[in-house]
Amino acid sequence: MNAMTNFTLKSLRANKVRTLVTVAGVALAAALLTAVLTTYTSLTDMLYRGEASYAGSWMAQVEVEDPTELEASLSAGTADGDISDYAVLQDVGFGELTAQQENIYGIYLPIANLSGNVEELCAIKPSEGRMPEAPGEIMLCSLWRDSDDAVQLGDTLTVKVGDRQAVLAPGREGSMSMGTVSAGIDYVPEDEEQEIVDGTPLNSSMGYLQAVEGAGLFNEELTNTREMTFTVVGFYERNSYASVTSLGLFGFTCGEPTDGTSFAYITMDDVSNSQQVRERAEAAFPDCPVTLHTAMLRYLGINTGGGIWDTFYGIVVILAVVIVAACISLIYNAFAISVAERTGQFGLLASVGATRRQLRRAVVIEGLAIALVGIPLGLIVGLLGCLVTFTLLGPDIAYLFGGSSEIGFRLAVDPIVLIVTSVLTLITVMFSVFIPAWRAGRTNIIESLRGQQGKRASKRGASRAARATNPTKLWKNKGVAGRVFGIGGTLARTNKKRGTSRGAAASVSLALAIVLLLTAGSLSSFLGVLVDVASGGEPAGDIGVAAALMTDEQAEENDAYYNGTPINTSDEPVTLQEVVDTANETFAAEATIFSDCFAAMSQVPDAIPVGWKMSGNAPITVDPSMVSQKFINHEIKGLGTGGMTEDGQFAAYASFVYLDDASFDEFARAQGLDPDYFRDADHPRVIALQQAYGNDGDKYQLLDVFTETGMADVTVGGVYEGRAINAFNVSYIQDGPDEPAVFSITPYVYNYLDDDDTAFDEDVVAAEGEFATQQVEIAAIATEGPALANGDGAEVQLFLPVSMAQHHSFGIQGPVFRSVFNAPEGQSPELSQELVDRGGDFLHEVEGFQTSFYYMNDYVTEVSQNRILATVVNVFCLLFTIILALIALANVFNTVTNGLILRRREFAVMRSIGLSNRQFRRMIVDECASWCIRGLIPGAALSLGVAYLLYVQVGYSLGGLDFHLPWAYIGLAIALTAVAIVVSVAYGMHRCKADNLVEALRTDNV
Amino acid sequence: MDILTVSHLTKTYGEGETRTVALNDVSLTVAEGEFVAIVGSSGSGKSTLLHLIGGVDRPTSGHVMVNGIDVYGRSDEELAVFRRREVGLVYQFYNLVPVLNVVENITLPVALDGRPINQQRLNDLVAKLGLRGREGHLPSQLSGGQQQRVAIGRALMNAPSVVLADEPTGNLDTKNSAEIMQLLRDSNREMGQTMLVITHNEEIALAADRIIAIEDGRIVRDERIRR
Repeated sequence: MNAMTNFTLKSLRANKVRTLVTVAGVALAAALLTAVLTTYTSLTDMLYRGEASYAGSWMAQVEVEDPTELEASLSAGTADGDISDYAVLQDVGFGELTAQQENIYGIYLPIANLSGNVEELCAIKPSEGRMPEAPGEIMLCSLWRDSDDAVQLGDTLTVKVGDRQAVLAPGREGSMSMGTVSAGIDYVPEDEEQEIVDGTPLNSSMGYLQAVEGAGLFNEELTNTREMTFTVVGFYERNSYASVTSLGLFGFTCGEPTDGTSFAYITMDDVSNSQQVRERAEAAFPDCPVTLHTAMLRYLGINTGGGIWDTFYGIVVILAVVIVAACISLIYNAFAISVAERTGQFGLLASVGATRRQLRRAVVIEGLAIALVGIPLGLIVGLLGCLVTFTLLGPDIAYLFGGSSEIGFRLAVDPIVLIVTSVLTLITVMFSVFIPAWRAGRTNIIESLRGQQGKRASKRGASRAARATNPTKLWKNKGVAGRVFGIGGTLARTNKKRGTSRGAAASVSLALAIVLLLTAGSLSSFLGVLVDVASGGEPAGDIGVAAALMTDEQAEENDAYYNGTPINTSDEPVTLQEVVDTANETFAAEATIFSDCFAAMSQVPDAIPVGWKMSGNAPITVDPSMVSQKFINHEIKGLGTGGMTEDGQFAAYASFVYLDDASFDEFARAQGLDPDYFRDADHPRVIALQQAYGNDGDKYQLLDVFTETGMADVTVGGVYEGRAINAFNVSYIQDGPDEPAVFSITPYVYNYLDDDDTAFDEDVVAAEGEFATQQVEIAAIATEGPALANGDGAEVQLFLPVSMAQHHSFGIQGPVFRSVFNAPEGQSPELSQELVDRGGDFLHEVEGFQTSFYYMNDYVTEVSQNRILATVVNVFCLLFTIILALIALANVFNTVTNGLILRRREFAVMRSIGLSNRQFRRMIVDECASWCIRGLIPGAALSLGVAYLLYVQVGYSLGGLDFHLPWAYIGLAIALTAVAIVVSVAYGMHRCKADNLVEALRTDNV
Repeated sequence: MDILTVSHLTKTYGEGETRTVALNDVSLTVAEGEFVAIVGSSGSGKSTLLHLIGGVDRPTSGHVMVNGIDVYGRSDEELAVFRRREVGLVYQFYNLVPVLNVVENITLPVALDGRPINQQRLNDLVAKLGLRGREGHLPSQLSGGQQQRVAIGRALMNAPSVVLADEPTGNLDTKNSAEIMQLLRDSNREMGQTMLVITHNEEIALAADRIIAIEDGRIVRDERIRR
C-alpha cells in the first residue's frame, strides 16, 4: 500500500462520523436503485411466468399450409440460429360432437398433431396421464373427464372426424375475407387477402361459419369424414392459447397422417423489439401469416410500446433520475466537506512533496474505498428490502396483476440490475468526487497551512469591500437584514455579498430536499388518483343489497315492449298533471317501501346498518356558467352525457341520489351546511358533486363538473297525444349532414299504436308533446361525495334527503335502492345470505309492485381488489417517500451542520472580540433565511417540473386529470425541511459554541 | 493603580489520567500602563493565562479582576460585552474576518457594541498603523505584517483597559516584528495602554517594563526591568 492510500484510509478512519454518513449515502443510493429496478424486474418476471404458464413462451405463431415447407423452414431457421426453439400443432381434423357434447366442449373436437417443445412453448401439458406419443393416442381437456358421461384414462374414444369446408348459405352469393372469421383469441391476421368462397377449406384458426337471418353468407360442413379411434392417454387442465379456439377444445395426438394446416410456435434469441421478431419470422416463413405473442414479448423486455407500459417505464426512469440526482448531491456534499475540512492536510502533504496528481488520487481513492463498502451494502439492503416487502405484499401483488397462487410474486434478481446499479452508483460517486478531487489538487500550500483556504472573499466582494471605506458611512449600510437583526444581520449580509459561494451547498441541498419530497408526494398523489379512479372508491360497508321495483302496470308495459307487442293505451288519455302526479305518488310509495325494507333488514341479528339510498336519472338544464368548460366542450367522452342545447343552455342526464336522512345530514354537516335547508318541499335544493370520473375504455377520466351553484330545470314528465312520455333521451342530434350537432333532450314514447292501429317498429320521437319542468336549486357543491355514493361513477350526481321523495320525484321511474350493512368479523357470508333473504321476502310481499332486479354484494368475501391495489401503491409510495426523505434530510443536515462547523474559527474570532451569543444567533438565522430563500425558489420550480413530468407519465393511462400540486406534501416538505434546518443549525451552532473558544481559535486543520 | 488582578487562577483540562494542569494557582497584579512580557517554553501555560484574562476561556478556579470587576462573575452576554470593551486581543495568526475590509475589521468591536465610530480615533489609528491607502483591502490582499497591524488596530480601537497579545510577531520577519513591537510600545507610552505580550523574542521581552516567566503552569520569575 503506498503512502497516499495509507493516508487516505487513515483519514477515513479518523473521521468516523463523516465516513459513516458518506457510506450510508452511497448505500442508500445503491439500495434505492436496486429496489426500484428489482421491483420492476420482479414484476416483469411474475407476468412472464404467468404468461408462460397460461399461454406458453412462444414469441410468434406462423400458419403454414405445406408440411414439407414447414419442416424445411424450421430446420433452416434452427440451423441459422434465427429460431431458438419451436413447437408445432397440425390440424388433423374436426371431430363431430353430439348436441349434448356441443354444450360442454364447443362445436367440434378439433384434433391436432403435436410436435416440438409444446409443453414449454404452448403450455400444453398433462395434468393427469401423459402426452400422446404415437398415432392413436389422444390427450383431452379435463372437462371430458369431469363431465357426466366421463371419459377415463385408457378409454377408447371413437369420433367421426372430417375437414371443415365453407358452404354458401341458400339464396346468398359473394365471398368474404378470412380475417373476419378468425377464431383465435387475439389473432390479428396480416395481409389477409384470402377470400372465402363456396367450398373453401377451413382450418382451426378460422371461426365457425353460420349464416343467420339477415347476416352472413356462409355456413360450413364437415367433408371427408372418417371414423377415428383414439386411446385416451392424458388430460390437460389449463386452456392455453394454443389449446382452445372458438370451435372447441383441442384433442392432441401425435403423428397421425394428415395434410392439414400447421401452426408453428417459435422463440428467438437476441431480439430487441417486436418488429424484429416479426421480420425474422417472416423471413424464415415467407408468405405465411405471422401472429406475435405481444404480452410475452413485453414481459421479456422486448419493446412493444403501449400506454400503461410507457407510464411504467417513464415512472421508473424519472425515479431513477431523481434518485441519482439526490445521491450525487448527498455524496458530493460529503466529499466536498471532507476535502474542505482537510485543506490543511492537503497543504501539508503538498509541502512535503505530494504532487497534484497524488492529492487528486487521495480523494479518488477515498471515493473508491467508500464505494467498495457502500455499494455491496446497498445491494444487500435493497434486495433484503425488496424481499421483505415482496414477502409481505407478494400475494396481494400477484392477485392484483391477475396472477394466481401458482404464479406467486417473488423476488427476481437480475444480475444485470445489480451490475447497472453498481455501475450507476460508482459513476455517481466518481462524479461527486470529481470536483473535490480537482480542488484538492489545487490546494495552495501556504494558505492552506495558514488555514485560510476557501475563506477568501469573491472578486466582487473585494471590490465591494474596497468601496466601503468612508468612515462616516461605516456599518451604516445595514440593509433589511441589519435593520431586523442588528449587527448580526449586517455581518450576515456582508458575508452574503462578499463571500464566495458560502451557503450555496446548503441552498442546493435544500432545493433538492424540496424536489425529493415533492416528487414522492406527486407520485403518491397521482398514483393515488389512479388507484382511486380505477377502484371507483371503496364500498361504504361490508355487504350491499340493491333492488329496483316497478309497478304492476309498468311490468305489464315492459313485457309488452320486450315482446314486441304494441302498447295501446290510447283509450285512456292522460293529462300532464296526471302524469306528474302518478310519478310522484309512485316514487313516494317506493321510497316508503325501501325505507321499510331497510328497517326490516336492519332487524337481522348482527347486521350493522350503515345506510341506504335510492337514485335515478332525470334530464336537467343549467346555465353554462355553472359547469366546467371541459364538460361543456365534451372533452371527456366517457363521462355520462352533457352538452350545449340550441337555446344556449347546458343539458345533462343527472343522477338524483336520495340519501337516507341520517346519512344526508351527516354529509351536509361535513360540507358545513344546514341539513334542514335541503328539506323545503316548495323549494327543492340539492348538493352537487364537483367532480366525476369516467372511462372511455382506454383511459380513466377525471374532471370538474360543477363550478358554480344556481338553478337547474328538471324535465319531470310529458304527454304526447294523450300518452305519457316513456323516456327522455339526452344526446347529440344532427338534423342533416351539414347541420351542426346540437345536444338535446328528446322525449320518446315507446312503439305505440295510433288510432288506425298501425304498429310502429321504432319508438316515437314526441317532440310536439306537452312537458312539465320543475326547478331545483343546486345550493352547494361538494368536492367529495358521501361514503354511500362511492362506486356510482361517471355521471352528474345531485344529493338530497330521502324524506324529500315524499314531495317530488323529478319524474324518476324505477329508482335503484342500495343499502349497505356492516358485518361482524368473519360473518359476512352468512349475514349477507340472511340479509338478502330478509330483503327479498319483504319486497316480495309488497302490493302493487314487482321486483325488477335484486342483488347482493359481499364485499368482504369478494376481497376488494382495489383495496389491495391501494395498499400496494401506498406501501411503495411510503417506502419511497421515507427513503427519499432520509436522503434529503441527511443531505440538509450534512451541509448545514458542516457549513457552520467549517467556519468555527471565524465565529470564534468574532466571539473573542465581543460578538455576543444573541448577535451570533441573529447572524446565523439571517444567513439561514437567505440561503433558504435561494434554495426554496429553484427547488419549488424544479419540483414543479418533476411533478409535471410525473403527471404527463400518469396521463398516459389517466386522461382528463387536472394538474394539481400535492399540497399536503408541500406542507410536509416545508415542515420536514424546516425541522431539518432548525435541527442542523441548532446542532451546528451548538458545536460552534460548545467548542472551546481557545481551541477554535487555534484550529489549524492539520 | 492595579488594573488587573489575577488570584489563585487554576485551569485544568481533561479528567482522570489525562488530566493536565495548564495553569496552577497563578496570582499576579498588573498596574495601569504597564508593559508586561510573558515568556515561557511551549505548553508552559502562558497562552492559557492570556485567554483567561481575556475572557475567552473559563478558569477551573480562581478569579480575574479587570478594572475592579470580576470577569468570570458575569453571564455569557456580559462576558461578550466585556471582551469588546475592556480587552483587546492580538493573535499570532491575526484572526481577521475574511470578508471585512481593513477599516471594518478595525471597527468591528465598536459596531458589535452598537456605538458610533469615533472617526478621529479611526483616522489616527489607520495613520499610525501605516494602513493609509489600504482601508478597503480585505485581509487576503494584505501581507502578514499588515494583517497584524489591522489586528492591533482592532485591539486598540475601543481603547480597552488591557491589550493582550499572544506572540504577535511569531509569524513575522524581523523588520515587521520590530515595527509591530514599536507600535505596541508607542501605544503603551502615548496612550498609557496596559499591555500583556507573550513572546519568545528576547529583545522584545527586554524592551518590556516587566517580565513574567511561566513554567509548568506556575510563575517562576516575575521581574521588573529598571531602565
